[in-house]
Amino acid sequence: MSHTTLKPAAAPTGAAASGEGPRSASGARRGRQPRAIPYTLLAPAAVVLAVVVGYPLVRLVLISFHDYGLRSLFTGVSPWAGFANYTAVFHSADLVPMLVRTALFCLALAAATLVIGMSCALMMKSLGKRMRSLMVFSLITAWAMPNIAATLLWTWLFQPTYGVVNWLLTQTHLFGDLRQHDWTASAVSGLFMVWLLVVWQSVPFVAVTLYAGVSQVPAEYYEAAELDGAGYFRRFRVVTVPFLRPVLLLVAMMSVIWDFNVFNQIWLLTAGGPHGGTSTLVVWAFTKAFASQSYGQGAAIAVLSTALLTVMMWYYVRRMVHAGEGL
Amino acid sequence: MRTRRSAALAVASALALSSTACGSSHSSGASGGAATSTSKIAGSGSGTGKTITVWYMDGDLSDAVQKAIDDKFTADTGAKVNIQVQEWDGVNTKIATALAQGNPPDVVEVGNTDVPLFAANGALTDISGVQGQMSAGQTWLPGLVGPATVDGHIYGAPLFAGNRAVIYNKKIWADAGITAPPTTFAGLTADLDKIKAKNTDPEFSAFYFPGQWWYGALQFVWDAGGQIATKSGSTWSGALESPQAQAGLTAWKNFVTTYSTQASLNTDNTKPDMNALFAQGKTATLLNTSINGILKANPAMKDQIGTFPFPSPTDGKTQPVFIGGSDLVVPAKSGNQGLALAYLKAATDPGVQTSAIVGIDHWTPVSTQLIDQTVSSLPDTSQAFFAAAKNSVATPATPGWATIESDKSIKEFFADIATGRKSVADAAKGFDAHLAQALNATS
Amino acid sequence: MKAVRVGRVGLNAGAAVFCLVWLFPVYWMVNSAFKPSGDLTTETPRFLPFPLTLASFGDAIERPGFISGLYNSLIVTGGVVLLSIGLAFLAAVALARFSFPGRRGFLIGMLVVQMIPGPAMLIPMFLSLKSLNLLNTLIGLTVTQVAGVLPLSIWILRGFVQGIPVELEEAAMVDGATRGQVMRRILLPLTLPGLIATSVFAFIAAWNDYIYAYVTMKDQSKYTLPVWLASFSTAQGNDYGGLIAGSVLFAVPVVVFFMVIQRRLVEGMTAGAVKG
Repeated sequence: MSHTTLKPAAAPTGAAASGEGPRSASGARRGRQPRAIPYTLLAPAAVVLAVVVGYPLVRLVLISFHDYGLRSLFTGVSPWAGFANYTAVFHSADLVPMLVRTALFCLALAAATLVIGMSCALMMKSLGKRMRSLMVFSLITAWAMPNIAATLLWTWLFQPTYGVVNWLLTQTHLFGDLRQHDWTASAVSGLFMVWLLVVWQSVPFVAVTLYAGVSQVPAEYYEAAELDGAGYFRRFRVVTVPFLRPVLLLVAMMSVIWDFNVFNQIWLLTAGGPHGGTSTLVVWAFTKAFASQSYGQGAAIAVLSTALLTVMMWYYVRRMVHAGEGL
Repeated sequence: MRTRRSAALAVASALALSSTACGSSHSSGASGGAATSTSKIAGSGSGTGKTITVWYMDGDLSDAVQKAIDDKFTADTGAKVNIQVQEWDGVNTKIATALAQGNPPDVVEVGNTDVPLFAANGALTDISGVQGQMSAGQTWLPGLVGPATVDGHIYGAPLFAGNRAVIYNKKIWADAGITAPPTTFAGLTADLDKIKAKNTDPEFSAFYFPGQWWYGALQFVWDAGGQIATKSGSTWSGALESPQAQAGLTAWKNFVTTYSTQASLNTDNTKPDMNALFAQGKTATLLNTSINGILKANPAMKDQIGTFPFPSPTDGKTQPVFIGGSDLVVPAKSGNQGLALAYLKAATDPGVQTSAIVGIDHWTPVSTQLIDQTVSSLPDTSQAFFAAAKNSVATPATPGWATIESDKSIKEFFADIATGRKSVADAAKGFDAHLAQALNATS
Repeated sequence: MKAVRVGRVGLNAGAAVFCLVWLFPVYWMVNSAFKPSGDLTTETPRFLPFPLTLASFGDAIERPGFISGLYNSLIVTGGVVLLSIGLAFLAAVALARFSFPGRRGFLIGMLVVQMIPGPAMLIPMFLSLKSLNLLNTLIGLTVTQVAGVLPLSIWILRGFVQGIPVELEEAAMVDGATRGQVMRRILLPLTLPGLIATSVFAFIAAWNDYIYAYVTMKDQSKYTLPVWLASFSTAQGNDYGGLIAGSVLFAVPVVVFFMVIQRRLVEGMTAGAVKG
């Protein structure tokens, strides 16, 4: 983050004793910095992760190379399968359409979430206390809704005969009589319905996190820019975005990852139908794994999906890691 | 009556990431049942001071019935019972992981169509040896014990059954001039035509039958002599392309497109809720497993509801029904085999079945003899369900069947036909291919 | 000045519209929770829940498992929030302020772990917990969920720590403060917004988890609230009224938690903006 590389002159006022220049201070710090400290700080988290995530992850990869099924779960015995699970996936004809659909849907979700989330954050920054509380409340209740209830709610809102949304839309007299309309009948309307649900519940996280970031930007910078004659968008571009970059990059990445892996909502609303029209990679992996019925194949698909996502995001992963490495 | 949301199974398996079954249906030799029929049913007094753990599914048996079974068991063996109630969502994963542990529960209630999943994979105890003692001369319903039978070995004892019968709104029927329920298929369609003529609101349906309501759709297939799948040797193949199945499917398609609403052709029984539609008078007739849902939505309708089994075009018969229900299974790794088997015996005991399963919960008991004996003791509205149960069919007894229920392909298959997205022949061809792949489950 | 006022009106109007849209589904849910269950599906939607009834709430609370579920959920979620903030903060400081071998690897690892499809890890994690004898314990569940939340928490907090000028700490240390004091007195207060954002995220993740709670616990008495919520959908049908009312009850603590915290969030932010 550009913050840490600011020269002392531009640093926020009030920093005590800027007497000794930063160079010598950090030099002195580096000199007497005991090697063990970072490891000590990192250790607790690392231990938990290694035990609860690391070890199972290794197991997952191992399972992907075995013919591991329900029987293996009970008996502990599973034959080695080499790459068989992986080749089965690559040879499938459904692979390409599935990848395309997943990429597009993921993009549609992430873009909407980020744009709306960012707008919320900016709005909340400028709003008065009461309106802001109301916005926060609206966002949080959407986020807090348990998955099972939200999906049920969505099927209610959109169902033929009794759906409120259908009824409301019919009242606008813009779309004709939609009361019996079945949103799951076509892939496009099905995806739209899922899109609405996912965006509704994802925006709050983005909005909250970005809001926290946005409020860390010191007011002086905006004042300075305004004095220089910068308009709203210019200020946004020149002041807000650079400050927000790490957080923005992070939530953008997380949004893409989560939206790529969305499963429950799609499955419970449309079951991937009609005819796989609303299936993404994860949904497809699920049904495909079923047809072959083995944890081994499922694990292989999970590994492939993770690898794919990593490769896709590699450029941004590197950027995230390097962000703020001006130390 | 297995109206559990297939979503539940789906989420379950989704969350186990890949599926839950590795069925090698050619599971000869390395058969399930480590602790096999060598175990004997625990005798009187042998369980004093011990407690076994029994898992029941939420909502199936009422507390009173569970207690009745427990009491019989305790009277038989002196042991106590610790009941744990499980939720449907994710249950297959939960059972799979429980069975994989060193100290699983001693008895588990498993939906009948899920039993093959565990039976074929070595998780359950083979009860073939003691089955005779449990059934005591009764003929267990094929729909319940069939799925529990793998390669001639039985892995579960039936607990209760539920199935579908026609539920009708007496008032609407009477308004159309019909005073007695039909006993033939022709009579049924004639009655429905009259109702249709009398009620012309486009949102009204004479017989609400959603396109994805496959439990009901299968009745037409079976009634025409068709099957879902057949097994030759150790290989399953889809049988929906047979002339009988095609005839049944066509008959079903004609039925639903004539008497149900347009919007229902692509949906299932919950979106919107069938019972709610009936309760509000938007439909005159339904095919469902009990009237309880309707009563809950509209208690005032109690005296307006009547039931009868779905008549078959073959005179004098009723359509074969999909039998839903549960079996009790014993995990192979349980440490209390003898007591567990005694529990199964208590549950299948004719006395318990009659007084509790039927008497308290009005579920269908597990044998044809019991059905005959108890049908007259039931309230009018329950008798039709019993009558229908005598002619029941099981789904293919292979772990792969769980896939078919969970990946929703069967729902889509029927919806395709109902909506006309695919012709009956094309839909059958596609689904048969999928069946062959899933049911044979080679990994 | 007029432009400012128009702008302000426009802004408030925009915010109001946003809230209306965003709250609609929730409003519909609460509306349904107060209706008699027969009224849940009516031909013309009823926008006001009259006749008002608490029957669904009664059904919900009476369903067994509510109290124990609530108790377990509070313990586990509280534990997850505290543990994850603590561990993530320490790790974030290490990653943001120090350069050491393995740092990049660790950071990349955190991101990659987030990319694994959630359900994929269920069985391997189950086997792992089994080996550690942590099955059927609230601690095991807590630790599992902490691990699920940690990667993202660490990343978020790292960003916030980086956002604090290192000169502040350096100056303090020159003045004789120990690293521990620096962390406590300077970093902790200034990263407060980040800590709060992380805690909300951890709270919601832990509070809403169903499948891990369900699969790792053998005794009903140890189930958390989401499992209780699932009990409204049985094979015999769904108790929609109870489910909706239950969901409303279930969502309340989260909303309360955040509404309480958001005031601190604002205070923390004002303090942070001034930057010492």
